[in-house]
Amino acid sequence: MSGYEGEASSGPTPAPRRADKPLPAICDPNHLLHRVVVLVFMCFLGFGSYFCFDNPASLQTQVIKDLDQNTAGFMQLYAWYSWPNVVLCFFGGFLLDRVFGIRLGTIIFSLFVCVGQVIFATGALVNRFWLCEVGRFVFGIGGESLAVAQNTYAVNWFKGKELNLVFGLQLSMARLGSTVNMNIMGWVYSKVADLVGSPGHFTLGISLMIAGVTCLFSLFCALVLGFLDKRAERILHKEEGKTGEVVKLTDVKDFPFPLWLIFIICVGYYVAIFPFIGLGQVFFIEKFNFSPAEARAVNSIVYIISAPASPVLGFLVDKTGRNVIWVLIAVVTTLAAHMMLAFTFWNPWIAMSVLGASYSLLACALWPMVAFVVPEHQLGTAYGFMQSIQNLGLALISMVAGTILDTRGYLLLEVFFCTCVCIALMAVVSLYFVDYLRGGDLNRSASSRASLLKEAEESKRRQSQVTEVDSAKLTPMSAFGLRNRYLSRLGAQLPHHCSTHLSSLAHRSVLK
Amino acid sequence: MAAKGKGSCKVSLLFRFSVFSFCYSLVTAGQTYQRKLSVQLNPGFHSPPGGDLLHVRAVGENDTLHYLFCSQGAPTLLLVHTNTSSSTLKVNWTQFLDRNVSGGLEVEPKSSVLYSTAIVFSKLLEYDDFNDTAQPSSTFFPLYDLQNFNWSRLNLSGSTSLLCGTEGTLGNGSLCLQLSVFDVEGRGEAWPRLLHTANSSQLELWLDGVSPRSNHSRFLLELLAVGGAYTPSHVEIHRSIDDEFTPSMFSVSRWVPELNGSHQVPGFFQWKPVAYRQPHPVLEDATSCHHSDPLPQSGETAAAMSGLIRAFYTEPEVFGLNVSFGLAGDPFYNSTRFLSWTLLAGVGSPPMDSISPLVISMMAVGLGVPLVFVLLGSVYVCTRKTVVTTPYQPIN
Repeated sequence: MSGYEGEASSGPTPAPRRADKPLPAICDPNHLLHRVVVLVFMCFLGFGSYFCFDNPASLQTQVIKDLDQNTAGFMQLYAWYSWPNVVLCFFGGFLLDRVFGIRLGTIIFSLFVCVGQVIFATGALVNRFWLCEVGRFVFGIGGESLAVAQNTYAVNWFKGKELNLVFGLQLSMARLGSTVNMNIMGWVYSKVADLVGSPGHFTLGISLMIAGVTCLFSLFCALVLGFLDKRAERILHKEEGKTGEVVKLTDVKDFPFPLWLIFIICVGYYVAIFPFIGLGQVFFIEKFNFSPAEARAVNSIVYIISAPASPVLGFLVDKTGRNVIWVLIAVVTTLAAHMMLAFTFWNPWIAMSVLGASYSLLACALWPMVAFVVPEHQLGTAYGFMQSIQNLGLALISMVAGTILDTRGYLLLEVFFCTCVCIALMAVVSLYFVDYLRGGDLNRSASSRASLLKEAEESKRRQSQVTEVDSAKLTPMSAFGLRNRYLSRLGAQLPHHCSTHLSSLAHRSVLK
Repeated sequence: MAAKGKGSCKVSLLFRFSVFSFCYSLVTAGQTYQRKLSVQLNPGFHSPPGGDLLHVRAVGENDTLHYLFCSQGAPTLLLVHTNTSSSTLKVNWTQFLDRNVSGGLEVEPKSSVLYSTAIVFSKLLEYDDFNDTAQPSSTFFPLYDLQNFNWSRLNLSGSTSLLCGTEGTLGNGSLCLQLSVFDVEGRGEAWPRLLHTANSSQLELWLDGVSPRSNHSRFLLELLAVGGAYTPSHVEIHRSIDDEFTPSMFSVSRWVPELNGSHQVPGFFQWKPVAYRQPHPVLEDATSCHHSDPLPQSGETAAAMSGLIRAFYTEPEVFGLNVSFGLAGDPFYNSTRFLSWTLLAGVGSPPMDSISPLVISMMAVGLGVPLVFVLLGSVYVCTRKTVVTTPYQPIN
């Protein structure tokens, strides 16, 4: 592409390509090996925030005891994270697109995560619970927006390549982060307690500070990613591909219809997963006569399955394409799993395993679809908006689900969740037809996507030629152009991309 | 109904299912069996010493149900089912109050009696569950014998009656029993919202403000089921997917007679294994209960304990079981000092909860609309495909 542009030098002059010495594979942004390196940093970018997000849960008894709280107070630590994010990650995504740019934005959000965790730990250290809440709030500002940044980064680097796999890997990293946290923080706390001499708020603070190291690590990843992205942009001349359009807040109302359908799927689906898992433990004890330990195990199987399954399923989606069909499969199997739990006494291990697999499949297939329907400059805003309404849905539906359970029991709760999944199902079906009728990209197979990509590059190349010609018509002629024109009028033989009268014949209507 | 279902075979299966269920609920609502209730306190006597006798006569089309509730001795509910709508109760008050020989209370004509059964609330037990195992084998406190309680006069309002008993060691607290007799099918308003028919009555028992004898006290209730021919002798546990009316309870316990062959159940005692720790409970106030296996008991002991059993049965057959409240880990009685439990007693087969129309319609709409989407979508796509489009050919 750049070779072509090098000849036609009437546009803005691009930086000369350093093609003189070929880069080794690991340093070449076009090469898979380099992308793998980027992927590693991308995955660990979110690790810190996922690790620290669940710190209160893994140290629940300690937090309650050391900070002298009850369960309601403890839940505040999560509320201070969640509620602000109903709006914040939308603005986070918007700022990412409009103000900071992806690189600076990611670093800023990582900083927020670090600072938030430090404030949280300090609050525990000095035994001020309000300070802990402030810390969680600051942590929340960074955490969710960082996830938006992570998605945007993934699309920037992997669209048209291994995007679904990358989303799968990111999900499994998130699960890994919280699993490691759940298993390690108790141990860290007891070690710190041994060192300090006695458990207490001071010990808790130190443990949380230690957990904060993961956030520092993520910040480091953000810096490295920023550097690599900058470098890739320089080498690949990504700037040229940019249209120069900027996102406006009002763009949200002009989001394409398929994107809204994707939002509906996202909300309808996730509200039937997370609130259910939150309320699931008692359900398994009461309905299936499980022991509390067994109930905890079956409840966590969804997350345990999703860690290894999501990269595999992501790979599968990459190889086959047809994201809408995969989403449809995920939604239908989820519906089946919920109906199994609601209407049968079958062993819940079956239903929950199915749920785990379909949840991973959905995460791999749904989130990348956004990249196909919105232009690049709106990507952060779109992901931020998606995450915001997901948070809003989760917050509201959690409350509704609690009320339904308290008054009408688990059967109606399950039926309610089935209804939510059915809404998602309607949206998927609509998405399929809308995409089919519009001839969209969402449900193409991988091979046709690849050939389309090739075609697109081809036409882009052609288009760049055309636009140059167009702009040549509109801008005052350069001395070079003027001379060419003159020469051609004289009848001199010119290379035909320089010959203006040929181009003006091709665009006769413009001359009229 | 079946004929209608066959006739409308062109409707989709799902739609038919929902229509069927709606029709079914309409039909059952329309055909609800109604009985005429007449309530009489101490028939033929004015305020007998030692406790009241309540007689509720529920007259159906060609049968009568007699409910007798009495606190002469331990509180007892007696159900007598007769096959005529003109059977009457005859009480010989001197014999009845003496409590020496049977025959003090009869339902006449005697030949019309189809089935009779009674339930005696005989004892209340309290144990110190120091290790929080909820295994009532550990240290029992001296038991409360309910026949020695001071029972209040029956407090009547409509077809419900309230009986409260106190005892010295209970402190200011009391054990209360509320009997509700129903003339039509319906459902209790308070949890566990048991479904009842016109053939059943509901007994709610609560233990309010009793001072427990330890901080880790849990309670048990001893119940005796008495019968002539078919005595309730075993408890069946029916699991159900439906907890709509009693959140987080997925089973029903039924104390029914052992039947040889496929006879219809003549009578039952039914409860859900749940008790509540507050008078106006929320879900967290629910506590599970557990019952022991029914064991045969001496008929003479039961007759000595309860005036009603002595007067009605000559040779009562008795089975007894304990209902224990609370599982390991549940809060102790001391936390709220309240415990309520509900029992349904009736004749015929016990009422069964069925999945409510709300659930069925939610599922039908939820599954139906995406199907309709698929159909409409494919029809639209097909028609679009068949229309011959003239592709626009650019001129140059």
